[in-house]
Amino acid sequence: MEKAMKKIVEVTSNPYAYVEGLKEENNKKIIGCFPMYVPEELIHAAGMIPVVIWRGNESVTWGHAHVPPYDCGITRSFVDDAVRGKLSFMDGFVFHIRQCLQAGEFPFIMERHFKPAYQKVLYLPALYAGDAIRDFAITELESFKKSLEDFTGKEITGDSLKKSIETYNENRTLLERVYELRRGKPEILKAREVMQIVWSSMLMPKEENNELLKELIAGMKKKTVETKKNSIKVIPVGCLCQTLQFDILDLIEDLGMIIPDDDLYIGSRYFANKVGLDGNPIEALADRYLTKSPLCPTKGVWDIHWGDEAIKKMKDNDAKGIISILIKYCPPHACYYPDFKSKMDKEGIHEIMIQVEHEVITLEATKTRLQSFVEIIGGV
Amino acid sequence: MEIKYKVNRLQTTNEIRPLVDKHWADLRTAKERGEKVAWASGPSFIFAYAMGMKCHFMAGYSAYCGGIGAGEEVLKVAELAGDLPESCSYHRLHMGMGEAVARGIPINPQAILPMPDLMVAGRLCPEMSHYAEGLNRRFGVRVLPIDLPGPYSKDDMPRIREFVYRQFKEVVIPTFEEVCGKPFDYDRMSEILRILKEVALLRNKCWEFFKDKPSRWTLWDYGVSIAPVFYLMGNPAGITYYEKLLKELQERREKDIPAVAPDGEKYRLYWDGWLPWAFLGKFMRKFIPNGAVVLCGRYPWEFFPHPELIDPEHPVESWADLYYGMESHLTYSFSPKGTIDLIGELIEDYSIDGLVMFSSKTCRVMNLAQPEVIDVLDKKYGVPGVIVEGDMIDSAMISDAQIETRLQALFEMIDGRRKRK
Amino acid sequence: MAIVSGVDVGSLCTKTVILNGDGEILSFDIIRSGHYYQGAADESIENALKTAGLKRQDISYILGTGYGRSSISQADSEVTEITCHARGAKKLFPEVRTVSDIGGQDSKVIGIGEGGIVNNFVMNDKCAAGTGRFLEVMASALSVDIDEMGKLYFASQNKLEVSSMCTVFAESEVISLFAQGHMKADIAAGIAHAIARRIIGMVGQVGLKDEVVMSGGVAKNAGVVCAIEERLKVKLSVAQEPQIVGALGAAIIASERV
Ligand code: SF4
Ligand code: SF4
Repeated sequence: MEKAMKKIVEVTSNPYAYVEGLKEENNKKIIGCFPMYVPEELIHAAGMIPVVIWRGNESVTWGHAHVPPYDCGITRSFVDDAVRGKLSFMDGFVFHIRQCLQAGEFPFIMERHFKPAYQKVLYLPALYAGDAIRDFAITELESFKKSLEDFTGKEITGDSLKKSIETYNENRTLLERVYELRRGKPEILKAREVMQIVWSSMLMPKEENNELLKELIAGMKKKTVETKKNSIKVIPVGCLCQTLQFDILDLIEDLGMIIPDDDLYIGSRYFANKVGLDGNPIEALADRYLTKSPLCPTKGVWDIHWGDEAIKKMKDNDAKGIISILIKYCPPHACYYPDFKSKMDKEGIHEIMIQVEHEVITLEATKTRLQSFVEIIGGV
Repeated sequence: MEIKYKVNRLQTTNEIRPLVDKHWADLRTAKERGEKVAWASGPSFIFAYAMGMKCHFMAGYSAYCGGIGAGEEVLKVAELAGDLPESCSYHRLHMGMGEAVARGIPINPQAILPMPDLMVAGRLCPEMSHYAEGLNRRFGVRVLPIDLPGPYSKDDMPRIREFVYRQFKEVVIPTFEEVCGKPFDYDRMSEILRILKEVALLRNKCWEFFKDKPSRWTLWDYGVSIAPVFYLMGNPAGITYYEKLLKELQERREKDIPAVAPDGEKYRLYWDGWLPWAFLGKFMRKFIPNGAVVLCGRYPWEFFPHPELIDPEHPVESWADLYYGMESHLTYSFSPKGTIDLIGELIEDYSIDGLVMFSSKTCRVMNLAQPEVIDVLDKKYGVPGVIVEGDMIDSAMISDAQIETRLQALFEMIDGRRKRK
Repeated sequence: MAIVSGVDVGSLCTKTVILNGDGEILSFDIIRSGHYYQGAADESIENALKTAGLKRQDISYILGTGYGRSSISQADSEVTEITCHARGAKKLFPEVRTVSDIGGQDSKVIGIGEGGIVNNFVMNDKCAAGTGRFLEVMASALSVDIDEMGKLYFASQNKLEVSSMCTVFAESEVISLFAQGHMKADIAAGIAHAIARRIIGMVGQVGLKDEVVMSGGVAKNAGVVCAIEERLKVKLSVAQEPQIVGALGAAIIASERV
């Protein structure tokens, strides 16, 4: 388990160096997929390596000239990385520009300054009623597939796509298993480690990641941990698109809280729902995207409530509270949050929101908020 | 000697306020008369109009609120209700209005609209979905959402056009038929388009007067005249209004009266982004004393700049084509490439000296790649531009000092280039 | 019962309260925090001991709170200022349901449930808007001291609008109002209302429930208190020493932990 974890930490500590090495080692093209909903399986089936784009931890420099300061962290950080040449190992990009307005910043900036060999813009639809929606999602993926074929000059056969889907599904199953084991003994991994595990899956070729996860799981099964008494279980929710500063996860744990499960993108949202293997694989990929749960505020779903999903997760895990993690300048989450909050108030659920920014994190203030939260739940 | 610049106000524009007020007053009282009410965002209100419903329009309401000075207090209520400043101010405005009614918080009664029987949420921008969702979750509003993707490149347009057209036919029209209990009125939709076409043709003639040097009117004058090609669509009063306006502009030309006294403008500017409804006067006071006048802009040019393409005989198809057709692609101007094409044309047509790129801190729909757009256009046309940050309604997001510095910088850049020539 | 102490190290001031076994205040102290929180805490405890005529050994438990709570080396444990303000206010005003605390660098509104427990709270710690710091900057822009500014409020005939929430913008706004020849009193009233606007926004988020207690240094500014009262349309309860409410709460929790 230590060995597997060591590799995971290595991969996620310097994703730039890791992905660059990956390209050399495999002699394959690297395609950066802007989170959250690019169907990576298609790129995999086209014989290239899809990598989910990440938020770097450096301050934005040249990026200032291209995106306003009131864009979210990953938007600014990604543009900064790209124009500074930190991503020169990437051969292409895929952007689903309908998830939020900020995702619309990228294609033009990249075309002008990065000049990727391959670039695809997706318009995955909101999950509204009517057949036109599903049909259009399928059209979108067909056009994605075609653009990949045009780029590589090779056809993506139904069989090869199915094989890729299987590999991805296996990865999802393995990550689920990691989460299950952690649920049973949450202290087995630190929250930051769990985030690194999911993140490693976004960066590594899935085959390799699968092997690593198997090793990890075997170790996790064997390992016993002492369960701390009096610690309060909480579920973090939100944090779309980007890695959370690990310090915040540490802080939550240092204050005596335990995270048995989460509703984070670099977390359980990434591997939720598998792709069906019967029938047309493109349709199956579309259907995974069109699944309403876990609810994502970028998808236009309102017949189920995000708050209900969070509360269920909290209760299933015997947790006592919910920590909403809101990325500063993430409108989809910000617009939903008031309704999420009122749901919590109505149901009498302990919930607190902490807002995180790319550069400024006022850890002291965040600590006060979280510590007060512990005191409220603990009844000081 | 320092020239004292002053605006020459148009007479005709005074006549818009009663039309606009009547529209909103009718909407406020529609329920009392037993009429059905719709709300809309994105280009979808025409369907409600065709069915004889009174209809609110998101941006139109926001402009109206800004105009009557009610924006600030309504935003305050939204804040009370927990709405965050990261959500766009149009979103907050509507939530605030709903919350004020729900919680019994007094606000300007003119800013209060009846909750709709149906809200058509055209998701041109993803936030329009959030706002409809909020209305649904908080106040139980019945929402008819449709997805209206803005194309990044022209190649993507045909498949999006098909998608949008199908939603009109398969979702929008049947839902209106159900809500109103009658078949969809295609004839009325044709009629609306016929009137729109006539108004927009007249309006285009008025646009010619922006080309005069000195210009005969300002973008702000046109800004307040948008309603007839927008939410007053289908109202024949729009024709009368623009006929009058045209006449007044012709008179100005004959008598050689400029928009800016004494002898016309020193700088001819383009305005990008939303018109800052609550701050039109504020900006005007920053432009005019410098002899600067804004003549054209992306948002005001969204309202059917090519009326000849409106085809009243095929209303639904035409409506889809106006937004996504290969010739009239109104949604394409939201894409940086479309923006560059459009501004390029405007720079040439209206002899523009500089670009003011208004960047809203809460609505990013027209901010996309703005610095790139400036750079491309500067290289191609030698016209400089500056970004001015602010908001359409929320004064907490506007800094006078910043605006002044940026505009001053723009004027200096223009002066510098003139000297070099 | 034992003698205990609560120490509240805020970003601007450090406060200490010493309670006897019956929960009565034996002494209290308020000093500037400066840059060295631990030193400020030690000094303030020392001062309070002196006033009470006690020695360090007499104190059986010290509980720290406030922004600098983790730098109090003498403290036996720490609790956040949220919980402490709630408990302190509850002690002084048993019917309290809402606390609005405006400190030097932050402001918070706390909703209190049955038994004095915290139900919910909102905190503004991102910017100086609506805090003691905001008031200080505005006072110096007007070249009056803070107390005087509180009094000026009541001399205002014609309250002005200071619309900006940001300290930097508001400062230039105030300066330009002054330059335009407006009365100081009218500007001061505008400033008080700017703070009040900010606070009522937060109160709204927590939910206004009577009785409302105002604590923190700004509560000493009668103008701001009055402006908030006008806007909330309720009477505020202000402790005689509004600055020590947090330290008092800390001392109360300390007495439970002995
Ligand atoms: S974090 Fe939010 S705003 Fe940023 S890219 Fe993701 S969904 Fe968009
Ligand atoms: S973000 Fe802008 S375009 Fe989108 S709904 Fe808000 S105001 Fe409208």
